Amino acid sequence: MNVLLRVLSPARRRWALILALALLLAIVVCGLLAPYLAPHDPNLVDFAHKLEGPSSDYPLGTDQLGRCLLSRLLYGTQVSLGLALLIVSSCLVLGLAIGFLAGYAGGIVDSLVMRACDAILAFPSLILAISLIAVWGAGWKQMAVALIIVQTVYYARFVRGLVNQLKQQTYIVAARVSGTSPFRMMSRHIVPNLLPPLLVVVSLEIGWVIMDISALSFVGLGVQAPMAEWGAMINEGKSFIRSHPRLMIAPGAMIFILVALLNVVGDAVGERKGAGSPLRKKAKTSGLLETANKEVSHER
Amino acid sequence: MSLLVAERLSKTYHASGWFRRQTAEGSAISNLSFTLEEGTCLGILGESGAGKSTLGRMVLGLLPPDEGRLTFRGEDLYPKGRRTRRSWRRDIQVVFQDSYSAVNPRMTIRQIISEPLRNYERQSAQEERRTVAELLELVGLAADDMLKRPSQMSGGQLQRVNIARAIALKPKLIVLDEPVSSLDMIVQKQILHHLRALKEKYGLSYLLISHDVMAVHYLADRVALLEKGTLVDTVDASEMFESGHPTFRAMMQAAGVE
Repeated sequence: MNVLLRVLSPARRRWALILALALLLAIVVCGLLAPYLAPHDPNLVDFAHKLEGPSSDYPLGTDQLGRCLLSRLLYGTQVSLGLALLIVSSCLVLGLAIGFLAGYAGGIVDSLVMRACDAILAFPSLILAISLIAVWGAGWKQMAVALIIVQTVYYARFVRGLVNQLKQQTYIVAARVSGTSPFRMMSRHIVPNLLPPLLVVVSLEIGWVIMDISALSFVGLGVQAPMAEWGAMINEGKSFIRSHPRLMIAPGAMIFILVALLNVVGDAVGERKGAGSPLRKKAKTSGLLETANKEVSHER
Repeated sequence: MSLLVAERLSKTYHASGWFRRQTAEGSAISNLSFTLEEGTCLGILGESGAGKSTLGRMVLGLLPPDEGRLTFRGEDLYPKGRRTRRSWRRDIQVVFQDSYSAVNPRMTIRQIISEPLRNYERQSAQEERRTVAELLELVGLAADDMLKRPSQMSGGQLQRVNIARAIALKPKLIVLDEPVSSLDMIVQKQILHHLRALKEKYGLSYLLISHDVMAVHYLADRVALLEKGTLVDTVDASEMFESGHPTFRAMMQAAGVE
């Protein structure tokens, strides 16, 4: 449970969650409406106004190239959230497919897929992403692909574990006996029961991916100038940390706020989900099910 | 021709792993043979660990035996070589012990019962509704119950739903794996009564796997005693109580029959 929420009573926690959701929604809306809300073109260079403090014309001031800081932050929301959603949803789809294949097929397929995943997991994920980008060259597309590759592995493992547990449920055996095809088994029995726990992971993961994107862009491997992205903005502002710290503080604060909000929401979703989990052990298991369990434990 | 013939079935569970030597873990089933005639109920009576459930899974086509042959209406359940579409799949259905875990908690009763129908028959929504309603009435539930979810039903009611799902395709054989063991005495009696009535009505055959002497006596025509993975005695259900086999006697004594 999130430290931010743990200190609060349940009723206040509810309000904290509602507040977090409202703020999150506000950020998303601001990002989507950036073209209408931004006072200036985020990439418009104007040396006459460089490094100016906040004014009525530039609410948060300008950067070293005279670009409007507020406009860049607003457009940066699109980049950070958009890229994070793209990466997480790709991981989700790929991870579901791979994890389902491994978990459902079992045997040699399972072993091969899982050993391949282990090989990728053996590297720290960000380091592996950096080395992939080193091969392909810097850029947001390469970064997205690299992050998808290193993140999908976690999803695949998670899904495979869930599928393995679900596979032993009596109702899955009953569905097999009543002639349900593997495709329908997946769409009607497995996926509906996988999604709730997966969504918890996803809601927490979006925050982490935003951090990764910012980190890679900060070191110049991800989003490239002049595209407005928070991590890249921090990087550009670092030369002016003594004279104009707001160039770093503003995008840094955005990353902090967004990731914190996503964590609060993700944790709350995880807690709510606990009650209705399909993987919760039922008190009794059927005789045939015990046999299935025995079989699996012997295989391990 | 007999409906189901098992010839010298054997199944051994063994542990295996990359860094472990293969070691035999004892056999679940060894050298087991029986014959089930069409329209009858064969009771497999055995204590825990005798191999009842392993046998059930084999008959359902879920667990290939290591040795021996299982033939259903003359067709091998585990043919060698290329896997073809199993024509017997819809003719062998199952009712499990724990009625709650045998249904997907996210589905409605209608979805649960119509699942086998959708897998094999093309019915319009209206026809399907009617079929499900008929099936529910057959097992002593109301047609309106199809709108409910498993969490809104009792164990006994859900077991009726499971039976309705099992008979939906009008199968030839139903494997009953401890169908009443998790229910209270009165509900047990009702369910057994329904099962017997359905058997008469549709000429169903049952393979009743149970440790419950009274349930087996009530429903079965023939009774086979399973001990340590093999059948040690087979008698007519009516002569069950006269059997001299010591395990038979012990189980009946434990059930308070003697």
